[in-house]
Amino acid sequence: MKISKIFLKGLYDNNPTFRLMLGLCPVLAVSTSVHNAIGMGTAVIFVLVSSNLIVSLIRKIIPHKIRIPIFVIIIATFVTIVDLLMAGFSPALHKSLGLFIPLIVVNCIILGRIETFASKNNAILSIVDGLGMGFGFMFALVIIATFREILGYGTWFGMQLLGQHFQPVILMILPPGAFITIGLLMGFLNWIEHRHIHKHLTYK
Amino acid sequence: MRDIVRFAITLTIVSFISACSLALINEITKSEILSREQKNLNNALMYVLPGSNSTSILPIQKEGQFLYYKGYEDQKRTKIVGYAFLVESQGYTNSIRTLVGIDTSGSILRIKIVSQQETPGLGARCEEIQNGESIPWWQAQFQNKSAVDIAVDKDGGQIESISGATITSRAITDGIANRTKKLFETIHE
Repeated sequence: MKISKIFLKGLYDNNPTFRLMLGLCPVLAVSTSVHNAIGMGTAVIFVLVSSNLIVSLIRKIIPHKIRIPIFVIIIATFVTIVDLLMAGFSPALHKSLGLFIPLIVVNCIILGRIETFASKNNAILSIVDGLGMGFGFMFALVIIATFREILGYGTWFGMQLLGQHFQPVILMILPPGAFITIGLLMGFLNWIEHRHIHKHLTYK
Repeated sequence: MRDIVRFAITLTIVSFISACSLALINEITKSEILSREQKNLNNALMYVLPGSNSTSILPIQKEGQFLYYKGYEDQKRTKIVGYAFLVESQGYTNSIRTLVGIDTSGSILRIKIVSQQETPGLGARCEEIQNGESIPWWQAQFQNKSAVDIAVDKDGGQIESISGATITSRAITDGIANRTKKLFETIHE
């Protein structure tokens, strides 16, 4: 029971993008197409789960005072592994994600979850938390990318959705479009949460 | 004092394990990455020497000197398309590698930036492709210009620099001009 709760928390209640607001920089930059969003999301899930696992396995023997450098070494190792694997086996994705793959090292979600969760919980729970947070991140990225790609290119995941006469809203592909989309989505989710709380209070 | 020793040893062990894992993954992906780079180079060569194909481009290198490519229209090497060579210039961040194709009169056929790590939104716009077009606009302007004479507009030349990315623009442009001079020296030796 506890395991599924941890996983679901990462997806919605504690969604790293919409609730914790961590790691927004790559979200803004990579959400221009659903293809990139899924690629980035997968890379982050891999790094998050692997780092969480390793840290939680050695959490009792890491000297507390040097824990941050050790965390960063571990994260950087896994990010480099992802980078090399992508360069070797998925070069198109590697080229379109470009600089943002190595930047996963400084993505606050990963260091944040390691410090908050993995360094204090066992391996199984840490893996589940990593999966929850990672999928929450990918889920947020894909939703934002869906809006930006459909309005900005007329396609979804590369498939043409809107017809010939559709005038693409170029703004959506540029940085302002990213900020606007994320802002509106956050506002919408907050509104839902507000109504939910309001309902609960009224019925009491 | 004992604490510092403990910390140093722990960090060393962690770094060592990390380095070993990376060395392993590097070994596994090395050949894949290398063959992909070779394929990209071949495609780029055919692109900058329009009219040539994979069997009609000849690499030439005299005793560890300047490596360049001679492109013909067909395998029989009857009609020459031009020469291609790699330009490596120091950009704003790291080195930028550009493949340049010129015809026998020294006029640029096409260029293709093979690798760059310039700032996204600024220097990286050298590879930017506008909506609806098929080749990067900044690279397209090099076509049909004399390779030894090109310079950015700020230096009195014809190449429009990328706004906010003078260093990148200048590095690539001057790199091409200089390398072309070197190419002609090597050919006429």
